[in-house]
Amino acid sequence: MRAVATATSPRISIGPSLTRTAIVLGGGALLLATALVVAVAVGSVGVGIGDTLAVLGHRLLGLPLGRTLSPGAEQIIFDVRLPRVLTAMLVGGGLALAGTVFQALLRNPMADPYIIGTAAGASLGAIAALMAPILVPALVIGSGSSWLGLGVVQVMAFVGGLGSVLLVYAISRANGRVPVVTLLLTGYAVSSVLAAGAALLMFFSGQRLGAIFGWLMGSLASARWLNLAFAAPLLAVSGILLVVRWGRLNALLLGDGPAAHLGVDVEREKLVLTMLATLATSTVVAISGTIGFVGLVVPHVLRLATGPDHRLLLPASILYGAALLALADLGARLAGGIPVGIVTALLGAPFFLWLLRRSRRTGAGASA
Amino acid sequence: MVPTRLRALLLPPLLALAVAACASASSSSPVASLPAVSPTEPAAAYPLTLIDDAGRRVVIPADPERIVSLAPSNTEIVCALGACGQLVGVTDFDDYPAQVADVADVVIGGSVDVEQVVAAQPQLILAAGNELIPTTIIDQLTSLGFPVLSLYPNSLDDVYDDILLVGAAIHEPTAAAELVASMQLRAEAVGAAVTGAERPRVFYEVGLFEGTIYTAGEDSFIASLITIAGGEPITGDAVSTAIQLEDLIDADPQLILLGDAAYDASVTPGVVAARVGWGEMTAVSTGQIVVMLDDLLVTRPGPRVVDGLEALARAIHPGLVD
Repeated sequence: MRAVATATSPRISIGPSLTRTAIVLGGGALLLATALVVAVAVGSVGVGIGDTLAVLGHRLLGLPLGRTLSPGAEQIIFDVRLPRVLTAMLVGGGLALAGTVFQALLRNPMADPYIIGTAAGASLGAIAALMAPILVPALVIGSGSSWLGLGVVQVMAFVGGLGSVLLVYAISRANGRVPVVTLLLTGYAVSSVLAAGAALLMFFSGQRLGAIFGWLMGSLASARWLNLAFAAPLLAVSGILLVVRWGRLNALLLGDGPAAHLGVDVEREKLVLTMLATLATSTVVAISGTIGFVGLVVPHVLRLATGPDHRLLLPASILYGAALLALADLGARLAGGIPVGIVTALLGAPFFLWLLRRSRRTGAGASA
Repeated sequence: MVPTRLRALLLPPLLALAVAACASASSSSPVASLPAVSPTEPAAAYPLTLIDDAGRRVVIPADPERIVSLAPSNTEIVCALGACGQLVGVTDFDDYPAQVADVADVVIGGSVDVEQVVAAQPQLILAAGNELIPTTIIDQLTSLGFPVLSLYPNSLDDVYDDILLVGAAIHEPTAAAELVASMQLRAEAVGAAVTGAERPRVFYEVGLFEGTIYTAGEDSFIASLITIAGGEPITGDAVSTAIQLEDLIDADPQLILLGDAAYDASVTPGVVAARVGWGEMTAVSTGQIVVMLDDLLVTRPGPRVVDGLEALARAIHPGLVD
């Protein structure tokens, strides 16, 4: 297989070389591990690296703590930073994976995880939840602000994101078929309606505008173990089911007709892939708001570096998306808690431009 | 009023969503204003259970020696109750009393640094409601095991209740009752001084951004102060606190108070009088436009709010109140 891959035959039918696979995935795993340690060890409150490792060893592996910590240090490491870093990794990995899938599925380089309505639906859900006590004061019935421990905002964002894509898909369907262009246009139209509703709510939101704005910009500031317990299983299931569909995604890249000739049940696969990617996106949006850039650009960067074969592209997008967002969130925390989307775009976009120009000069990279 | 009508149109389709959101829960209610369980009695033995302004049941395990305040008004309440020394975290916006400048800032630029709050190891956190401190952050701090009381008054009476609530929480019920009594005395004096006087229609300008005029919202805390100070408040939408220019012209204020002028020197009576459309108002033609340098006292719901009330009364009824 290694020998074959060096030939100039189309990559679409032949797997990436073992060396390239090892370098890309091994490098990604190493980067992710480094990001985990650095992002947990560094924060606005100084906790030494020795103390950090001691806390992690104590809480994760049951080792004796063996040292006296400053007050709050254990809580900061284990209950504030670790869930936040792991959330950043889940969100980054989930967005990059969903972005890769949507770009292939819709054969559109501008596709991101939010493109067919997830962002608008989730935003409307979250904003309605944030404003519910104002809109319907009579219905406010006392204490508690959670369902199963999850915030109402998270639940409404999840339902809104999932629901809007189901609606878009149902509207796009005609004679049992869902043409890609129709799906994109319907997604745009439905998103516009939902975004108008969200904007209308924001207009009347008064002092809550700040909270709504913060949610729309995306934030990992309120990450908790509880949110992870909700998101991790959903992301694991949708992630695994997406990664094993790499072959069908490769076939769909050729177009609906050729994919059907290759034996893919095109309409069924499109539905399954859309719903799995939407499940991943809605889960991620529920715990972090709408974080931009990662889901759009990480797939492109990896495609430039690894080629378009989804066998490598899908797992790589998870690893690199996860590491990127964990490091970007560290930057956001150190910059005084600015929204992480600002960091990803501010640092990531110039890097992407550089890569794009370099690849065009050298002729490397395939389909970005 | 147009915004209200629009909002009424908006309600039915959103009702289903909102019902779902509220079925088991609420984040923070604008009408809550539930006082302490028994604010007039001496604080019971800890652990103490209190209901905050968001309707949340908060258990305070012990008399808090370490307090974090996430809003300047909360800081002022704590200090007025003699517990300034127990503050271990405040906001970067805190400026009163002067000694809080030495306390660590855990809210910077409006965003809560959760790590700094945890490092301060507070036994009580005083937050602000209506998403001034995001519900997600309040939930997070609560799940980390810290008791969080969320305060959000909608009237002067609510401020009294909040002071009594904090007094109960930090085991200073007597100081709180005395503070409230003295505030009530001064507020009643203001009310008595303006009794029988004509009540002018008062427009309080909170700000003007991109053509949108912000004022006291319907049933808001600022509106309640204007009423007590002997004016008829012209209010904006209860939620957005905005008022449309044509509604303002229609309401025809007899007195315009410029709260924003306290922070922005470019807002002057002359500039306001020259705004397009504003010349129609009685207040403009009679020159009744007053700069409110005490805006901070009027808009910050802490113990000094009675100073703000007196400043309002002086502006509305010069000569009747000293």
